[in-house]
Amino acid sequence: MIVGQRGWRHRGAIALFVAPSLVPLLLFTVGPMIASAGLSLLSWNLLRPPVFVGLDNFERLAGDANFRAAVIHTLGYVAGYLPLVLVGGMLIALALNQRLRGLAIFRTAYFLPVVTSWVVVALMWRWLLDPRAGIVNFALGLVGIDGPGWYTDPAWAMPSVIVASAWKDLGFVMVILLAGLQSIPEEYYEAASVDGAGRWSRFRNITIPLLTPSLFFVLVISLINNLQVFDQVWVMTKGGPAGATSVVVEQIVTNAFSYGQMGYAAAMSWVFFVVLLVITIVQFRLQRRWVTYD
Amino acid sequence: MRSLTRALAAVAATAMLAGACTGGGATPASATPGDTPGDTTPTASPVAPSAPAEPVTLTYFTFSAAPDHLEDLDAIVQAFEQKNPNISIEVQTAAYADYFTKLQTQVAGGSPPDTFELNYENSVAYASSGALLDLSPLAAADPDFDPSVYYPKAYEVFQADGKQFGVPEQFSDVILFYNKDLFDAARVAYPDPSWTWEDEREAAEKLTDTANGVWGHYQPIQFFEFYKVLAQNGGTFFNADQTQSTFNDAKGVEAAEWLIGKLDKTMPSDAFGPDQDSALFKSGKLAMWHTGIWLFPSLADAPFAWDVSVEPGNVTKAHHFFANAVVASATTEHPAEAWAWLRFLTSSEEAVKVRLDASWELAAVADQSLFEPYLSQTPPDNREAVFDALADIVTPPVIEQQSQMQDIVTQALEKARLGQMSIPDALDEAATQVDALLQ
Amino acid sequence: MTELTGARPVMAGIARLRTGRYVARGALYAVLAVGGIAMVFPFLWMLSTSFQTAGALLVPPPQLIPSPIETGNYAEIAAAFPLWRFLLNSVGVATISTVLQVATSAMAAYAFARLTFRGRDLLFLLYIATLMVPLQVTIMPLFVEMRYLGLIDSYPGLILPSIASAFGTFLLRQAFLSLPRELEEAAFMDGAGHFTVFRRIVLPLARPALATFAIFAFMASWNSFLWPLIIVNSPDLMTLPVGLSNLQGRYATSWNLLMAGSTVAVLPILIVYAVGQKYVIRGVTLTGLKG
Repeated sequence: MIVGQRGWRHRGAIALFVAPSLVPLLLFTVGPMIASAGLSLLSWNLLRPPVFVGLDNFERLAGDANFRAAVIHTLGYVAGYLPLVLVGGMLIALALNQRLRGLAIFRTAYFLPVVTSWVVVALMWRWLLDPRAGIVNFALGLVGIDGPGWYTDPAWAMPSVIVASAWKDLGFVMVILLAGLQSIPEEYYEAASVDGAGRWSRFRNITIPLLTPSLFFVLVISLINNLQVFDQVWVMTKGGPAGATSVVVEQIVTNAFSYGQMGYAAAMSWVFFVVLLVITIVQFRLQRRWVTYD
Repeated sequence: MRSLTRALAAVAATAMLAGACTGGGATPASATPGDTPGDTTPTASPVAPSAPAEPVTLTYFTFSAAPDHLEDLDAIVQAFEQKNPNISIEVQTAAYADYFTKLQTQVAGGSPPDTFELNYENSVAYASSGALLDLSPLAAADPDFDPSVYYPKAYEVFQADGKQFGVPEQFSDVILFYNKDLFDAARVAYPDPSWTWEDEREAAEKLTDTANGVWGHYQPIQFFEFYKVLAQNGGTFFNADQTQSTFNDAKGVEAAEWLIGKLDKTMPSDAFGPDQDSALFKSGKLAMWHTGIWLFPSLADAPFAWDVSVEPGNVTKAHHFFANAVVASATTEHPAEAWAWLRFLTSSEEAVKVRLDASWELAAVADQSLFEPYLSQTPPDNREAVFDALADIVTPPVIEQQSQMQDIVTQALEKARLGQMSIPDALDEAATQVDALLQ
Repeated sequence: MTELTGARPVMAGIARLRTGRYVARGALYAVLAVGGIAMVFPFLWMLSTSFQTAGALLVPPPQLIPSPIETGNYAEIAAAFPLWRFLLNSVGVATISTVLQVATSAMAAYAFARLTFRGRDLLFLLYIATLMVPLQVTIMPLFVEMRYLGLIDSYPGLILPSIASAFGTFLLRQAFLSLPRELEEAAFMDGAGHFTVFRRIVLPLARPALATFAIFAFMASWNSFLWPLIIVNSPDLMTLPVGLSNLQGRYATSWNLLMAGSTVAVLPILIVYAVGQKYVIRGVTLTGLKG
């Protein structure tokens, strides 16, 4: 029986722990979010005073072919990106969880891309993949393959963005899973081997289950972040060529700041918010099936 | 870890304090209503001036100063502040790519800069939205201001409904750069003003040598080039009262074919990476290049001989005219001072000299004699082409949803270029979409 | 006799196992090394470009070793921009943000992981929901709010929106949830209150997660671009990413200068990462709580 389960002391504890983050969150994030929901009922080019248009923006959204295309591209991006980064990150985390020589160097090397901003990373990839001067096509040319235009080719642009993104975020997944792996107490492994469990059995019965909380985090966060993919698309391809890499947040930003359709952009983002929320709630419900907390 | 973070926090806090003490931004002049004296308050002139010498700080937001002309702008600011000791100018910069995001947020959020820069295509939306100060009363009240000091066309384009909402700051155009060494080697005559598209095509064919990675010419395939070649072909973008697009007619299709038809024959189709065309020309692999005069300084040390010429026309000649203006916010608290600054920034002797010396585009002034130093710089020899081109200009078609229109046209050209649609179909689709914007 | 003949195959078997393990190890190293090079290669290029002259760029074939080597780029950007000021601002802002975020997120995470109260899960969902609307949409109302508070172009304006972190709260909640409860329950029985348990038991045990989050929080704040762009006007308060973006001209960019600036921008985060990693790696006594 934990002391002070009810009563003021308990409530005081809750307030003490929650308030320092809840108050700023409400003031500087939730507040503006609610205000932006109000924006979705307006037509506003940011220069003139806004005009109330009710649900017009949402009606327009339903018939917007560009938005539909952006949603499809976004889903395609996530479908390609997620397996690459989760499996890759997991493998690297497992590999680097052992006592290897030069561990720190490997850890730093794999984290290096995460640490840099997309402005630089996107540029590097554009150079690497440059159809004429890039090293990738140069190397392909050495073995006689005529490399495609990569990010300038509508068929290869999205795969290029996916690979660049997975490359960059591998280290992120690695670091989180590594922290999770390192938190598994040695005693569990020792006890298991004393009981005669082999490496695979230890992996299956200790590592995986105790890693599921971290895996869950990585999955939920990756989905939320990458359905809102923006930075790399903006810097690498600006949604092109010919709209092949246009994604939802890119449409939102273009509408808000280039086309003077701030209300429409807000409506777009709130429709998308509902999608993100539903996906996340489903994941939280499903976690009972596969995530084990101690 | 705790002690480490505590130490870091202490360092950070000290840094903050140090920053705040050395003029960090404790009193944001634009946020609080009412007059707030600037951080750098110069001493008022001892001679009693006719106007009240209350210290005023003006903010000036610019995209054209960074990164190459910060010192030049600083020189202009210093000169202005010397002549007007009660006004201090606070320069704010942003990269062009981020400029309008920040500017719009500030305007919409009620905290715009006092003065700022706009390019012509964006200025129309700002003017019609009432975000800009009408400068005509200030100009009229200014005893020694004469609008003829400005390049006439440049001054006119920033007027609307009888109001002057901006003062032209600089203008530029696009001309044809060519590599003389490549022309000599292929024994092709240099481009001259009489050239048509056909002449350029013929020359490019002779100059293209794909075995050695040399290409005949390069011209971007996007909105700006399109409306220009459309005009060169005798077409118009809209009909007379701007209620319908006419760029998808036969002349428009021919113009688009001129842009796209060069691909892979005389123009590289994969040179679309960052600054690829620039890299090609600078490494001597591109014989002719349609690009802007702003690149003169970066080609000064090119390892080959090069010159410029006006671009070829087809039915007629037509050249770009890009102009930037400086404007004042409609809600600025210091309109008189803003006017003084805008006027100085654009037409004072000091400012014009700084701009021309630095080849910082072209100051939009009418006095041709001021351009002598600019014209006598080499390379290129034929700098007169810059002004010859101004004899036949075409201004961009501008509507309120400018950005959307530009994207529609550029995307249509991209689809045609990539072979996703035929040129007539792509242009028709674009015309329908642009017409929808005109409603 | 049988033992001798029996021992030799066993010894040979062990020897085979050992070489097998070495081969496996070697293969692992090889794969990791190749992967590591793939990760690091673009950086070598960034570093190399920062030492190239403007004219030498982008000329095929791509060169990894710059020739001629131009060391002046770093000096040039330091001369063109108040680089030290940008760096100082970034360090200060990122440090303060990180400290505040780790503190507030850890506390909230403890509440969500260990305390029960009505509406807890709904509140947690609210936290997660704040990650689902892009900043570009909420930035307008946030800017207006800052204007009313008089905080435009100020350090508080820059930092306030990033005191709390839903990302961090989520990460730490997962970490706290997987800690064994026995130690905490023992402490409660000894009469400890929540805050003591939090401080003395939970936090030390969750050190890898805390260090990991600290690294991410620092990184996110360091690389943050849009909000500093909008809220900061004067160069005195500019942070590094916004300052460096000024190197991108309207028509052309000096890539060699931009790469030099970006190299400078990457170094501090690497330092933070290196320091933070020490806390993520399992210590010798992780669960060495006695009694």
